[in-house]
Amino acid sequence: MINRLKIYGPFALLIILVLLLPLIVMIISSFQAINGGFTLSNYHQIMTNQYYHQAIFNSLKISFIASICSLVVAVAGAWALTHLKEETKNTLITIFNMSSSFAGVPLAFSLIILFGNAGVVKAIATALHLTNHFNIYSLTGLTFSYTFFEIPLGIMFLFPVLEDLNPDWKEASQVLGANQAFFLRKVIIPIILPNLVEVFILLFANAMGTYETAYALTGNNIVSIPILIGSLINGELTANLPLACAFASLFAILMTLMVMLGNRLTKSKSEGAK
Amino acid sequence: MKKHKQTLIPKMIIALISIYLVAPIIATTLYSFSTSWVKTILPEGLTFHWYAQLIANPDFVSAMIRSLGLGILTTIIAMTCFLPIIFYANVYNPGLKARLRFITVLPFTIPGIILVTGLIQVYQNIAVPKIIILLLAITLLSLPLTYQTLDNAFISRDFRAMFEQSLILGDKPVHAFIKVILPNIKVGIFVASLLTFTTAFGEYVITNMLLGGDFETLKIYMYRLMQSNGQASSVLTTIYFAILAFISLVLVLIVQKGSASKGKE
Repeated sequence: MINRLKIYGPFALLIILVLLLPLIVMIISSFQAINGGFTLSNYHQIMTNQYYHQAIFNSLKISFIASICSLVVAVAGAWALTHLKEETKNTLITIFNMSSSFAGVPLAFSLIILFGNAGVVKAIATALHLTNHFNIYSLTGLTFSYTFFEIPLGIMFLFPVLEDLNPDWKEASQVLGANQAFFLRKVIIPIILPNLVEVFILLFANAMGTYETAYALTGNNIVSIPILIGSLINGELTANLPLACAFASLFAILMTLMVMLGNRLTKSKSEGAK
Repeated sequence: MKKHKQTLIPKMIIALISIYLVAPIIATTLYSFSTSWVKTILPEGLTFHWYAQLIANPDFVSAMIRSLGLGILTTIIAMTCFLPIIFYANVYNPGLKARLRFITVLPFTIPGIILVTGLIQVYQNIAVPKIIILLLAITLLSLPLTYQTLDNAFISRDFRAMFEQSLILGDKPVHAFIKVILPNIKVGIFVASLLTFTTAFGEYVITNMLLGGDFETLKIYMYRLMQSNGQASSVLTTIYFAILAFISLVLVLIVQKGSASKGKE
């Protein structure tokens, strides 16, 4: 019994104190008015307020485009990675594993150095007498910035899937007279499609929850769900913690459902194969 | 010759992606050494002036110390919390591992900005030092990476037999764990510690929301500089990238050493 406590104790305490308790209180508070009484008005506001709709729409749009573009590049990248030497593979995977640490403030700042109003591209364009219309502080710029952490993340998720594909299948289909395109369409894509969907969901969820990069790059100028929650907490709009809780609860529940759905897709595939 | 042709396209794809991802880092590094870079193709001149200026700044030194402290303390807490349970799940209770799987998707379902909303709601009016909550929260954030690394360390060896032999020989469980298990997974622990440290060292969202201006870490300092002084900020960002690059290098060397020794077996 004492040993059990030693094993589970610290972990359980951590999970309760900084995960379960905050999540439960967050959901309860989302039904509270500022004076403490029960209300549905927080959720009602989310449904009706145009400004909040804009935040939700921006979040969905940025995340969807960034994830799709990153997924396409990541498929190519992961495929290319499987053809490299073992050592190179391990090195690159380790570096991609670190890539999330490069995101956020340093990424946003680097992009401003590169594309900003006084940035490197501007300097080069001025020197060459070119005009440069790309605006890093725009919705497009923000979407572009997300690809810098979404691509490595996608490669990390997809690499093991592609590495596990059986090379015998290719030989078998060649022997049976199938060409490259047919093999890709009829064999490879049906096999990895559930994984592609799952990775897309993870990339999408990751983009939806991105606060640091967005805040550092565009401040509160482009409103998305995380930016909105942030400004509701520290009072840059007007501090309204119950409303922030309502947004955060909705977000957590929707993302959990989506990620579970993605998990189920790949799970049923591997069970079906047995 | 055929082999060469087969890897040419993959190599080009990886090279293109790498250039794309690294370009902002290179631009920032160049910028941090440049005297002025406003309307030329390359910087007008190179200088260490901005580095000397930043490193002499007491704000920089204290931000660095805070971030290092946060990283080290989080790593210690994370290892105390996670090592016992991951050991137990791997050696005695594989069923537990299925239930711990939720951990790996935690960053996607409950990202930092969502977690901090709940944390503030619970702890804003309770008289607990916020720094303790911050340490615990960052420990939780580091959990997915730490969990996977430690979990891998337990694969492929019969730790149960080792552990039980030690118990039969009269060691207490804690003692046996330290004497027999830890030395065998020390590489895994080291890698997990580095990843945990990196997460804590670069944390921004929760630190900023929970403690704000009261506790200026490297990233918060970076954000402040970014608003006021581009040169100083590019120096700080470059230093930060250099630290991450150094940690990556250590990890790469460990991984390569590991796969080399596996090859010999």
